[in-house]
Amino acid sequence: MAQDAAAAAGARLSPKLDEASLIRAVQRGDQDAFEQLVRAYDQSVLRLAVNLLRSQEDARDVFQEAFLRVFRSIDSFRFDCSFHTWLYRIVTNICLDYLRKRKVRKEEPAVVDTPEGPLDRMNDFEEEAAHADPERNLRNIQLGQRIEGALVGLTPRERMVFELRHYQGLRLRNIGEILGTSEEAAKNCLFRATQKMRAVLGDFQ
Amino acid sequence: MNCESVTKIIPLYFYGELPPDEEDLLERHLDTCAACARQAESQRALSAALDRRAMQPSAALLAECRHDLMRAVYRQEVPILRGAGFSRGAAFSPRGTSVPRWLPSFGAWRMPLGASALLALGFIAARLTAPGAAGPFSFASLTPDNVVSSVRSVQPAHDGSQPGEVQIVLDETRRRVISGQLNDSNIQRLMLAAAHDENNPGVRWESVDLLKSHSDSSQVRELLLNRVAEDPNPGVRLKALDGLKAFTGDPEVRKVLAQVLADDDNPGVRIAAVDALTAHADDNMVGLLQGVVQKEDNTYVRRRCVKALQDMNASVGTF
Repeated sequence: MAQDAAAAAGARLSPKLDEASLIRAVQRGDQDAFEQLVRAYDQSVLRLAVNLLRSQEDARDVFQEAFLRVFRSIDSFRFDCSFHTWLYRIVTNICLDYLRKRKVRKEEPAVVDTPEGPLDRMNDFEEEAAHADPERNLRNIQLGQRIEGALVGLTPRERMVFELRHYQGLRLRNIGEILGTSEEAAKNCLFRATQKMRAVLGDFQ
Repeated sequence: MNCESVTKIIPLYFYGELPPDEEDLLERHLDTCAACARQAESQRALSAALDRRAMQPSAALLAECRHDLMRAVYRQEVPILRGAGFSRGAAFSPRGTSVPRWLPSFGAWRMPLGASALLALGFIAARLTAPGAAGPFSFASLTPDNVVSSVRSVQPAHDGSQPGEVQIVLDETRRRVISGQLNDSNIQRLMLAAAHDENNPGVRWESVDLLKSHSDSSQVRELLLNRVAEDPNPGVRLKALDGLKAFTGDPEVRKVLAQVLADDDNPGVRIAAVDALTAHADDNMVGLLQGVVQKEDNTYVRRRCVKALQDMNASVGTF
């Protein structure tokens, strides 16, 4: 299921090599194995970065920085946790840095006002099954504005926990492991995030 | 369980993070407390609103990221991997100024690299052909005669040519517009191929959407079954599932939908699958539904399965 992103990635790996063999091959310097490993996870990493940072440019930077760190430090991976958890620790640390820096320099809104009306900067992305009529588009823009407002009100950590649980489908125990905290702390974070968003979004359906 | 404690665990309930006994207690409370039931509904509405905002990075963005990453990896590779006994490292330039020997055999990366080459070529072509040769980059100017070029190979020219001369081999693709009726077999064949275009989920979505009105054709039905089970994009899978709704009594269709219900990683698709499957009572589904009840974390899907089992007078649990 969605909860097991690692299993989903595993399913995308070539049947020829299981993940552990692939990692050992990368540690021996096999570039093809690195490529295969990247491709097993890169879609979910990019999706996380795009949804979390809501900026194509930042998502590209996170993608590159994360996999380069993997490439540079894969020798230090000792199989004491799953590769998925190890990779996501790297990715979430980088994303949290981005979010914290943004908090300092004030977050750019995804929906900006233009002389032609509100423009959603995220329209460059594919929304799932998005073939909207003008009315639906307007509703989406209004919804987008309110969601952006709600997300900005979350702390970087709350936003991360919410993102990993809601959009990435990870279990809270796994999220705690990735973020170096307890399942209980992740639960509290999720509760605070949803309360804040419900307060801002109200009865929007 | 009181209303205050319920408020705290509603998000956990919604995300399937409560232990079963606590979940039972909560559900009993929700059945009797209208205020908490409204809170649960508010959580569901929030989730639905956020689902509509879910973004899927485009295939082009992913391809660019992969390309950029491999370029960066290549620049770093010599100092890191040479010491690790990397077998292909002999031809690497420390600064990455020559083409690495492994690049042509780097199959899976070839497509993004080729796409990048195409863009680069387009950029050059635009600069060479645009009036004034200094205007802004425009895709429209890349294909004045509807021809798209990509670089097949680049190599030094043959013996006897001028020093510094190179040979560039281009693959050229010409764009054509074809119109016709959907029931025309040639049009349908093209649409069936487009529905498998792995690089363009938008084209797959449109193709499936148009073809699903012809699901009485066995080829189209086969396509819909394939897309609902295999397509990486949940929007396409949902569209294909929509096209199969008229055939939920067909054993082959039910088999695929059962697989989707058990394995799909998208709750929206699983919800559509359970709705389609439970529209026809079928005793063969009991085992499947019981299994889903055990492991499903989406409340709606689980409740739908429980309801279907109760309607069939089957037990909810397994023994």
